[in-house]
Amino acid sequence: MNVNDVLTAVLVLIGAPIIGCLAAGIDRKLTARLQGRVGPPLLQPYYDVKKLLSKDNMIVNESQNLYVVVYVAFMILSLLMLVFKADILMIIFVYTISSIALIVGGMSTGSPYARIGSSREIMAILSYEPVLILYALAIYLVTGTFKLSAVLDASTPLLMYTPLIFIAMLFVLNIKLKKSPFDYSTSHHAHQELVKGMLTEYSGPGLAGIEIGHFYEYVFLTGLIFVFWTVNPLIGVLISIAAFLLVIVIDNITARVYWQWMLKLSWTLLLAISIVNIAFLYITKPTLV
Amino acid sequence: MMENTVMLLITVPILFSLLFLVLGKSLYKILAWAFFIFGTVFSVLLVMDGTGRFEITGSNFAMIENVVLILEVLVILFIFFVSAKYKNWPTLGLAVIVAAISAYSYMNVAAIESASFNIDQFSQVMVLIVNIVGTAIILFATGYMDEYEEHRHLNRQKTFYFTMSFFIAAMNGLVMVDTLGWLYLFWELTTLCSFVLISYNMDEEGINNGFRALALNLVGGISFAIAIILLSTKFNISTLSGIGTEAASATVVALPAALLCIAGFAKSAQMPFHSWLLGAMVAPTPVSALLHSSTMVNAGVYIIVKLVPAFAGTSLGTAIAVYGSFTFVMCSALALSQRNAKRVLAYSTIANLGLIIASAGIGTPLAVAAAIMLILFHAISKALLFLCTGEIEHTIGSRDIEDMSGLIKKAPLLTILAALGMVSMLLPPFGVLLTKWVSMQAASQNPIVIVFLILGSALTTVYYAKWLGTIMSSTMDKNVVTHKKPETYFPLSFLGSAIVVTSILVFAIYDYFIRPQVETLLNAAPVISGQAGQFASEIGAFAYAAIFVVLALALLIYVATKNMFTPRKSSYYMCGENNLEMDRLMFRNGLCSYDKSNVSNIYLENTFGESKLTTIGYAISIILIVIALAGGVL
Repeated sequence: MNVNDVLTAVLVLIGAPIIGCLAAGIDRKLTARLQGRVGPPLLQPYYDVKKLLSKDNMIVNESQNLYVVVYVAFMILSLLMLVFKADILMIIFVYTISSIALIVGGMSTGSPYARIGSSREIMAILSYEPVLILYALAIYLVTGTFKLSAVLDASTPLLMYTPLIFIAMLFVLNIKLKKSPFDYSTSHHAHQELVKGMLTEYSGPGLAGIEIGHFYEYVFLTGLIFVFWTVNPLIGVLISIAAFLLVIVIDNITARVYWQWMLKLSWTLLLAISIVNIAFLYITKPTLV
Repeated sequence: MMENTVMLLITVPILFSLLFLVLGKSLYKILAWAFFIFGTVFSVLLVMDGTGRFEITGSNFAMIENVVLILEVLVILFIFFVSAKYKNWPTLGLAVIVAAISAYSYMNVAAIESASFNIDQFSQVMVLIVNIVGTAIILFATGYMDEYEEHRHLNRQKTFYFTMSFFIAAMNGLVMVDTLGWLYLFWELTTLCSFVLISYNMDEEGINNGFRALALNLVGGISFAIAIILLSTKFNISTLSGIGTEAASATVVALPAALLCIAGFAKSAQMPFHSWLLGAMVAPTPVSALLHSSTMVNAGVYIIVKLVPAFAGTSLGTAIAVYGSFTFVMCSALALSQRNAKRVLAYSTIANLGLIIASAGIGTPLAVAAAIMLILFHAISKALLFLCTGEIEHTIGSRDIEDMSGLIKKAPLLTILAALGMVSMLLPPFGVLLTKWVSMQAASQNPIVIVFLILGSALTTVYYAKWLGTIMSSTMDKNVVTHKKPETYFPLSFLGSAIVVTSILVFAIYDYFIRPQVETLLNAAPVISGQAGQFASEIGAFAYAAIFVVLALALLIYVATKNMFTPRKSSYYMCGENNLEMDRLMFRNGLCSYDKSNVSNIYLENTFGESKLTTIGYAISIILIVIALAGGVL
């Protein structure tokens, strides 16, 4: 831990929510334009959070906001581990803590709407977690280590060897950002919503916490996409932005289907293409240098 | 010094079992506390004595050998007697085979002149588990059994405590003895204890399930006995550690090793033998906790891990790894479809034992370290979860997961302990998940095993997450009285804190017990630093501390900010149709009367149900075992 590391950590702590907030603003603006509306100002997500923080703290039980704090804390930790190029498998497990915290938080309220939402989010975990760990495995297979530093030191982009896993990861991004057609548990926009799913009983400061957590999550998830092309950071950032915009466009041109469909898609197509990619890596044994 | 401790660890539990037999019910609590203290003190003493081996020779040996022979005959006679009494012919047939093999080995196998005990770090870990976790479970039973028997109009506690304590003696012997003949006796004794305890209720279901356990374990026992005969006649090996040494000198011992592994699969209830463990769930919860999750089933994986030198890096090892990981993913999928908490835990146990076997099969130092660590962490977490399920059943009168919603309001301390147990099974920084992480890293060289592990791990997250969410959800009905007895809540809290402490001390545990043990087994320590093995650097320096610190920080921030936003309580949203005048729980339906809202979890029974998967599981697991055997012979 030297001064540089501390500075980076502080920069991530402050910078990530700003970027995430802007991303959320762009999301809303773009969605509005695609729907033929003018849309809110770019900083609307920030105004929302500010307003929520000044609202009354309405709760149905004492512990529900504890889960929000755990969610945000581990979201930040997984982002920091990503920035500090830690073990990718470990990062995924830490990220699971924050996902589970939000699910249990939703169920803890006892509301039937929240419980339905949480059940669906658990199914989302079943859909995306294998793909996410296969992504970690692919990194191991091309670098010989689970540490992300090896990917960042290499002079060939990861994407060269993992095109199919990249496609699967785009779906994971779509599921994790809770965008249509995978917004079963809760969604950001008030279209096609069963009340507010998992987050039904969250309001005021609790909901503000969740929004801030989402800002970090935006950066974290696009960060996972960035890893595919770290040789030239500019291209990496462009790919991440393109992936994010693609998800927003998909959000607007598709409608929510059954959650069973998500599970089927993931356990057939996504797993199949990921495993094909992994098998290719086992056979050809390329090394990222 | 060590000799005395070893002998006391075997004889004193037998003494306790006799005391339970002669003393009255009123003294059971005191006895159980004394037993717990004895177990804790003497298992720690054994660790302090260090490692080593000693032989029993001369007249002492002759005397004990005679006792062993008499006991073996008694075991077989007992099986004959019960299977004839209940007219269970398959078991009787198996008993005849066992008797024939024993007679054959008595006449044809050269008698041994001495017997040895081998205390290595792995034995120490197992002794710690058996004597601390095991006696804590017996202590829990003293607060549990009265109510259990009252419900079922039974009065068999003498048998219960006698068998439980006797089992601890047998298990202690099993993990310390090195001579295969004696090991076999202890092996069969644990099978017998298991049979007696499963059929504890003495109803038809209990007796049938008891016989199923007996029969399947006898199949394992036969495999064990044949392996002993082969080893003795063909290779002149009569000790467990001898197999490893012999394998190192390039002799092919693959067939007997494979047979011993099959005995281990049966005892660890791997597919296709897993049905006995599911049936065993009819027994009282302390039995499930002691025998069928944290202790006896560990005997199987114990043998398999000890045999690692015989198959590490061979095709037999790979076959075992694929087989174990297959059981892991299959049973995790089956657990997903279960509503009965005990069945979920049973499948989870089988799955985790499969993971241990897979790690042992991979056979690299890192994987073997993961296997031994998982045995330890899984034992503690699973004991806690089983005991919590038992206590939950006594609190709410059901073991259906759906009935457990609102538990946090009804029994907060119990719920938090159960939640700790579940979280320790599926999230970092707790031991089980960390060992799972290590085994994944170790398995990444084998494409089939790693894919199975990845799928199984996602399924594990799902079935624990929904159970966790259910017990934490707060419905507002609160009509339950909890009886907080020290005999039940002390073991629960003790196991809960053991999870936290062992998870914090994981690196010290690794350094003291596991690294030297892996060196003994494979002549190589796990690669702690360097490319693939970031094990030590992660565990020692970073992953742990960071997660515990963030967890503590999160709690601190929560407490600090709690009063910044004054909470205002309200009831949950029901589209404005709450019945405000009553308990606010129900909503007004279309007929203007009140209904309780009812939401259940997703179980995916049509995909992962027992009727869908069990047959496939049997078929594939049998094929994999045949492949393993073939790999052993060729």
